[in-house]
Amino acid sequence: MTVAHAPGSLVSPARRSRRGWWARTASDPRFAPWLYLAPMLLLLGVFTYWPFVHTFYLSLTEWNLNPDQPIEFAGIDNYDRLVGNTLFQAASYNTAIYIAASIPLKVLLPIPFAVFIWSLGRAGNLYRTIVFLPTLISFVVVSVVFLWLLNPLGGLIPSFFQQVFGWRIGNVLKDTSTAIWVILLLSTWKVIGFNILIYLAGLVSINRTYVEAMRMDGARDWTVFRRLIWPLLTPTTFFVLIYTVIFTIQQVFTPIDILTEGGPDSTTTNLFYMVYQYTFITFDVGLGAAGTVVLFLFLLAITLLKVRVLDRRVNYQQ
Amino acid sequence: MVLSRSWQVVGHTVILLLCLAVLMPMAIVVATSFKPPNEVFRLQPIPADPTLRNYQEVFADRAFLIFLWNSAGTTVLRVGGQIFFAVLTAYAFARWRFPGHNLIFAAVLGAMMIPHQLTMIPIYILVAELNWFDTWQALIVPNLAMPFAVFLLRQHFLSFPRELFDAAEMDGAGPWTALWRVVLPNLKPALAAITIVLFIDCWNEYFWPLLVTETEASQTIQIGIRRYLEEDFADFGALMAGVTLASLPALAVFFMLQRRVMETFVGSGIKG
Repeated sequence: MTVAHAPGSLVSPARRSRRGWWARTASDPRFAPWLYLAPMLLLLGVFTYWPFVHTFYLSLTEWNLNPDQPIEFAGIDNYDRLVGNTLFQAASYNTAIYIAASIPLKVLLPIPFAVFIWSLGRAGNLYRTIVFLPTLISFVVVSVVFLWLLNPLGGLIPSFFQQVFGWRIGNVLKDTSTAIWVILLLSTWKVIGFNILIYLAGLVSINRTYVEAMRMDGARDWTVFRRLIWPLLTPTTFFVLIYTVIFTIQQVFTPIDILTEGGPDSTTTNLFYMVYQYTFITFDVGLGAAGTVVLFLFLLAITLLKVRVLDRRVNYQQ
Repeated sequence: MVLSRSWQVVGHTVILLLCLAVLMPMAIVVATSFKPPNEVFRLQPIPADPTLRNYQEVFADRAFLIFLWNSAGTTVLRVGGQIFFAVLTAYAFARWRFPGHNLIFAAVLGAMMIPHQLTMIPIYILVAELNWFDTWQALIVPNLAMPFAVFLLRQHFLSFPRELFDAAEMDGAGPWTALWRVVLPNLKPALAAITIVLFIDCWNEYFWPLLVTETEASQTIQIGIRRYLEEDFADFGALMAGVTLASLPALAVFFMLQRRVMETFVGSGIKG
């Protein structure tokens, strides 16, 4: 062996020397990976990791987004103000409601639909596609359409209830007891087909011969579901649960902004919308950043929960 | 698995109701977009006197066309960039082992765990300092890194037979040529599906354009639709025509590669 060029490259040194410096560097396994990685690392550094860390710094300062105004160091003052702030209290409370209501609506409700579609085999494809359609339509469009449908002055939904049942429906989006439920129902409408799809992906891994075996033993549908499908689907259910909890916080931003702007009386704002309100409506950057840090701690707690659950699953499989 | 007769009846009934709940609002929107103004608030779903007037009105509105142009332009450039950088990154991870390989891979995937709302304030300030406010760059550049695409593409690259790399190098092709001439042409379906998911995600985006756009120089169609509402827009027939047109591109690209796109969506963690 006289050839001493880098492993992985079968181009002879003679041939290589005829190429330029750049071409040689770009195919040298010592340097090449870094050239390919550089743009992504730069982008992630500038637009993900640096802003992430910088948010912690901003949460300790006071600033109103005005470039002529100096950024002043304020210590933990913002956290102090945040905890005493009524908007923060309302947003925390509402976030809990959004999450609690999302579990039956977005995590559990899709399961029977997914199992039914799965039981149909190929014949279920049409159902699958139809329920998936709301995923493709922007939440702006969904919100604008429902704003029009729910309009108390001549909107089709109030008119329908008026003419068919004789019920009078007021402005559900201006009513503190109903507004949050409108947003929850819309976000369920938007995401249910997507979650059904995730459950279907989990169901595919269930061996259908188990089902046949249980049937041979005379098991009925409900028993097959309780004893076989539900336990085997548990990892998927946890996955959907964690993602729904994390995702609901961002997902409802659009309907909140278009339908209620956090109102009436702060009954629909959540932690994410609150950060937006602090930072971009009242220009209190420090308070917004402090809210972001609290939101981060909340998401971190959920992620750790996910790690624990997944660990347990691994142990279970062993 | 075949369910018993009674469960089948229950199942079909309930899922048909869900399909109805999904399709009804869409049907109402499309039907209304063909109604003349005096019919818009009538319950009767089918227009008695169908008209194309609403669509003519929408296309006569210069602002609407500009919103569409901004959406189309920024989406194409952004998705193109996202795919380009994700391909380079995934290729580096799949092709070479290098010092820090696992650590850097973890750093790229870890970025998936940092959602946009945790980083928006500093990025917004940066965009303002760069004087990018209300430009296409502001919509495109901060969103070019897509770790989920890196993750999916790397899976595909790893399953790519190494013999083909070696054969390409035997013929004197460097890693760059091998990537574009050998690897990517063989991964077209996967690339197409990821592109479509990114396209839909970008086309439908609301939050970031809401922060950084201000005028017709950069406002996208989603922001435009919201603007019609703010301006006390009362022509609901035209609004529904606009909403229909704004939804068509995402639906159209989806139906091009339906099955694969649904699978990729599941792997992406992106939910409309």
